[in-house]
Amino acid sequence: MMTSSPWTRRLLATIGVFALVFLTVPIVIVVPMSFSSAKSLTFPPPGFSMRWYETLFGNPRWMEAMTTSAILAVISSILALLLGGLAAYGLRRGAFKGNDWAESNFMAPLIVPAIIVAIALYLGLAKIGLLGTFFGLVMAHTILNVPLVMMVLGVAIRSFDLRIEQVAWSLGASWSYTVRKVVLPNLAPSVFAAWIFAFIGSFDEVIVTSFVAGKYDTVPKKMFNELILEVNPTITAVATLLIGLTVLALAAVAVILHRAGRLKPTIV
Amino acid sequence: MRGKGFGFIAPLLVVMVVAFDAPIVYMLGLAFWHKGQGPTLEHYQALFEAPVYLRVLGNTMRISLIATIANVAIGYPLAHWMRGLSGRGRTIAIALVVLPFWVSILVRTYAWIVVLGNGGLVNRFLQWTGLTDAPVSFLYNELGVTIGMANVLLPFLVLPLFAAMIRIDDRLMQAAASLGASPRTIFWKIYFPLTVPALAAGALLVFILCLGFYVTPAILGGGRVPMISNLLDTLINQIPRWEQASAISTILLVVTLLIFGAYRRLDRKATA
Repeated sequence: MMTSSPWTRRLLATIGVFALVFLTVPIVIVVPMSFSSAKSLTFPPPGFSMRWYETLFGNPRWMEAMTTSAILAVISSILALLLGGLAAYGLRRGAFKGNDWAESNFMAPLIVPAIIVAIALYLGLAKIGLLGTFFGLVMAHTILNVPLVMMVLGVAIRSFDLRIEQVAWSLGASWSYTVRKVVLPNLAPSVFAAWIFAFIGSFDEVIVTSFVAGKYDTVPKKMFNELILEVNPTITAVATLLIGLTVLALAAVAVILHRAGRLKPTIV
Repeated sequence: MRGKGFGFIAPLLVVMVVAFDAPIVYMLGLAFWHKGQGPTLEHYQALFEAPVYLRVLGNTMRISLIATIANVAIGYPLAHWMRGLSGRGRTIAIALVVLPFWVSILVRTYAWIVVLGNGGLVNRFLQWTGLTDAPVSFLYNELGVTIGMANVLLPFLVLPLFAAMIRIDDRLMQAAASLGASPRTIFWKIYFPLTVPALAAGALLVFILCLGFYVTPAILGGGRVPMISNLLDTLINQIPRWEQASAISTILLVVTLLIFGAYRRLDRKATA
């Protein structure tokens, strides 16, 4: 390592710590605020109360938004996992013309700004009369989450030894039998990680949902609409629940991948 | 497009063509079509004749550029510092960068209202230290939007940059040191040039994401800091001018794809 002067090292450490604080401050602040007894947003909170959680869980519209978000996230993440998983396998193991082109197409929703996807889907769904339908919403969330699934599974499949599959084929197993009995059991941890990421991706999606959801309210959509209007402390409770969900999901992924010895490639 | 394994990608291909490619093509069509008359460039002409569009475009470019520079200024030292950490310290630092990456953008943006408000943490600290008498307004102006965007996008720069930095072989620097190079020379002549492709790729990625940013300007800008996305929202949801929105979207899409092409080339260089 470079042996720089103690001054340089101290300066670097200061900037590093400052940057980590800058990154985490929003998360660190929201959680205690959600237990505040104050009517307005003040930090530190003057006292402890559960009033914002009571308001939240007592509000049928928030409850409905949570149900919608959960159902939408479950359906679209499973669809993204099935479609994206199959495609990732086909791309890694197959050999056909247009392979690269197909992969770029599947990854495109990650690169094309969400606002453009939102507008294109808004116009397209309006044209065929599916704007504001649950089906349209599921389709939108599915294509948005496919790239996440393909990134995680693409890495996993590439690092899985092709010769193991070749043995299965040489013993007369079909492609689909090999995938079910050989590939899937071995990739189970990564499949789980991919599903979790797709689930969070859907549960947090706000832009495309705001454009195409019509009368359906999801948690982020409702949160966004309320934030634009006024600063309402109930949001801190919603935000804390979302942070809790993310921490749990990441912890689950970390534990499962750690056990399988595959932590590194997936997280970054 | 036939061959081994095609059956695995066919289902997704159908869904993508119907639910993604077709809507995008339809949007492009709207941007270049006059109903009942055929192809036209009139929607673009209208764009360049209205000063409001050009102002929003300039705004977006400026804010994106500043947020990207801030990201580089904070992100590079952070990634470099993390490279020097070892064991548990490094794991904790990585976790603190990865966690915000996955927490909802809404949550992270929302918290800045509390931190940056007139009675917020930053202002109380500034007044307590006597740096200012009256509260500095961070919210509902460009400053707040820039801070929020830099915060949300920082992990996108730091994670790949850090990954590139830990791939640099320590022996390179040791060799230079044994030949008598000073730490400063080693950093600028050996270490820094090796990180430039990853840094440039990360900066381009952040810049692309800034250009299409919607949530943070809407919340922290309070309608007073219009960026392209917010303009598009108005053109779709409030005063329906779909052709105009399509024309702007097309420009944004082309710019994004061009920058992304440059990003891909740099990223290949960085990971090669």
